[in-house]
Amino acid sequence: MRGKRVAGVASLLATAVLLAACGDGGGDAGKEAAGSAPEQVVFWGWAKGTKEVVDAFNAAHTDIKIKFEEIPSGNAGGYAKFANAVKAGNAPDLMSVEYPQVPDFVSQGALRDITAETADIKAKYPASVITLVELGGKTWSIPLDAAPQVFIYRKDLFEKNKIEVPKTWDDFRSAAEKVKKADAKARIGSFHPDDPNLLATYAWQAGGQWFSSAGGSWKVSIDDPATQKVAAYWNDLIKDDLVKVQPTFSQEWIASLAEDQVWGYLGANWAAGMIKSNNAPQSGKWTVAPAPNWGTPASGMFGGTTYAVSKDSKHAEAAVEVAKWLTGAPEAWTARLGSGTSSSFPAIADLVPVAAKTFDTGFYGGQDIYQVFSEAYQTIKPGWTWGPSMVQVLTSFKDRLGQVSSGATTVPDVLTAVQADTVEEIKGRGLAVTP
Amino acid sequence: MTTTLAGRERGRWAIVLFTAPFFVLFAAVVVAPLGYALWLSLFREQSSGLGFGGAQSVFSGLENYLSTLADPAFRDGFWVIAAYAALYIPLMLGGALALALLLDSGAAQLRRFFQLALFMPHVVPGVIAGLIWLYLYLPGISPIVAALADGGIHWDFLGDRVLSSVVNVAVWEWTGYNMVIYFAALQAIPREVLEAATMDGAGPVRVALRIKVPLIRGAVITTLLFTIIGSLQLFNEPVVMDSVSDGIVSTWTPNMYAYAEAFGKNDYGQAAAASIMLAALAAVLSYFVTRWGNKK
Repeated sequence: MRGKRVAGVASLLATAVLLAACGDGGGDAGKEAAGSAPEQVVFWGWAKGTKEVVDAFNAAHTDIKIKFEEIPSGNAGGYAKFANAVKAGNAPDLMSVEYPQVPDFVSQGALRDITAETADIKAKYPASVITLVELGGKTWSIPLDAAPQVFIYRKDLFEKNKIEVPKTWDDFRSAAEKVKKADAKARIGSFHPDDPNLLATYAWQAGGQWFSSAGGSWKVSIDDPATQKVAAYWNDLIKDDLVKVQPTFSQEWIASLAEDQVWGYLGANWAAGMIKSNNAPQSGKWTVAPAPNWGTPASGMFGGTTYAVSKDSKHAEAAVEVAKWLTGAPEAWTARLGSGTSSSFPAIADLVPVAAKTFDTGFYGGQDIYQVFSEAYQTIKPGWTWGPSMVQVLTSFKDRLGQVSSGATTVPDVLTAVQADTVEEIKGRGLAVTP
Repeated sequence: MTTTLAGRERGRWAIVLFTAPFFVLFAAVVVAPLGYALWLSLFREQSSGLGFGGAQSVFSGLENYLSTLADPAFRDGFWVIAAYAALYIPLMLGGALALALLLDSGAAQLRRFFQLALFMPHVVPGVIAGLIWLYLYLPGISPIVAALADGGIHWDFLGDRVLSSVVNVAVWEWTGYNMVIYFAALQAIPREVLEAATMDGAGPVRVALRIKVPLIRGAVITTLLFTIIGSLQLFNEPVVMDSVSDGIVSTWTPNMYAYAEAFGKNDYGQAAAASIMLAALAAVLSYFVTRWGNKK
């Protein structure tokens, strides 16, 4: 008799535990009751130096505390995690979203309209940045940094082999030939088939415009003439074996930097901090230069992060306060760059001197790299907007660019295919689109 | 009379009590998710205009199933699986069977060691196995790629021939596991049967192929069933390699397709439809394999 009862209780308990586990979908968000306890804002991010900024915030505030949860970087799974969390109702209050993905999340209904809460800080940002977070007349997220294009290269090796820093893309090609001649195993840089954002940046710089919206309808032109020009240029570099084809930020790529087999990186400001932390033994050998251009100095933007409040956040106001501090307080930038691994460039121009002062440029031989960033920032082409299905666009690119190096396809052909994919995807979501 | 009735009553309660945890778990982790997936598969997200008003869920009937079937990316996944299975299943199960037969007839002292050594890779989770092998496949890091290149062989493990690289990881992971199952079955064969065969003049090879293998048929069918279902669900290893492999695309296998739809395109409806169809195919295949296995 007694044993039976114990067994019954045990099975009831098991059921209860299971049910409790099912019901506990809310995560930590919203558990903190209002009152004397500080309001807790759950924040997801991955950028270098974020933890330091969060610590600085928590030390300086008593009314709001950030609970920082480090997640994989957006395209490496972070966005999937966020989209899933929104669907499941346990999203963080504040999420890091890079510029390209803002329209994606807005059209999924994952973000909260923060137009009213951010009216006071809008004027601090240049128009080229604000247009990226303002869609349909509403503001959806707060820009943290801008990401002007630069060319980071091995000054020592270029000088030793009497190779000039390329100013134009023609120069870049001839410099690439010289690098290969100087050392048959070495290349000037790499093409990263898994990082289509880079291709978008080149297209942006060349005057391309992948997405625009007019008359309430999307226009997709991933294969526009400017992008075609860029695609043909890179296709030739790959075909003529003048660049290495490697996954971006991979062990393979890092190893070839360390072994002097890759002499440069075409990217944005933030890569300066990354190369610095990955390649410590090469201190003093690297320099930052403006990116090569098509005749007149111009820049696209490669990455850049914004902070968005999730739609169902119960701490939206506090989350906006947190985002304003993380992006706009000088102390935040001192903390972020003081970590030594981040070379982020503030989207708010007034903060650039703070950033420049804080980043230790010893690795770059004391060069004023923020000066280079600032100049590139001035030349960012205005008018670029991202489309509503960037996650799909990037995946579609990644799947196809991988087959370029084997000769199965070409970069211009990839553009045509991705263009078709993208139009179909946008149409499939019920959006208005004119190809 | 009364005591027997009470005993029966008690027995019935005991059955309910002992099976309840199973049914609760089964309902919570199998039936409920399956039902939810079925439900999701009948809806799709609908936006309008530029899409900045967010998306709404609308009932779409079987539309997700039709559009999934019409998607060449989904169908291509099954060709990949077919090629994978054609290479992997004979290689892995054949290898496991051969090793089990060798161990069964071999020196007893070595059995323990080989059993453990061969089983060891199975302890490594699939994702970790993928990562370990990735380092061995990746040019610039891998000692194997470097050694082959020094010998004049330029083998690109992650390019067009990536299928064989994935098969290799799976063989490494699963051969030992299946070998242990076969070995256990072999140990259960009555020794007098084997002795009788030997008395009749059968050599060790003949005993292995004509006596032992038919006697462990049940184990072979079971492992074949599991391996086919496992092949259909191929996911971990290729996903890990996708980040650096030119030969693998985001929709390489049907499982990866479902994942890409859900988390890349946020199309949970289509992902659910793809998953349901994959599950249905696995069920149908299992049925035929089991039936075929029970026939003789």
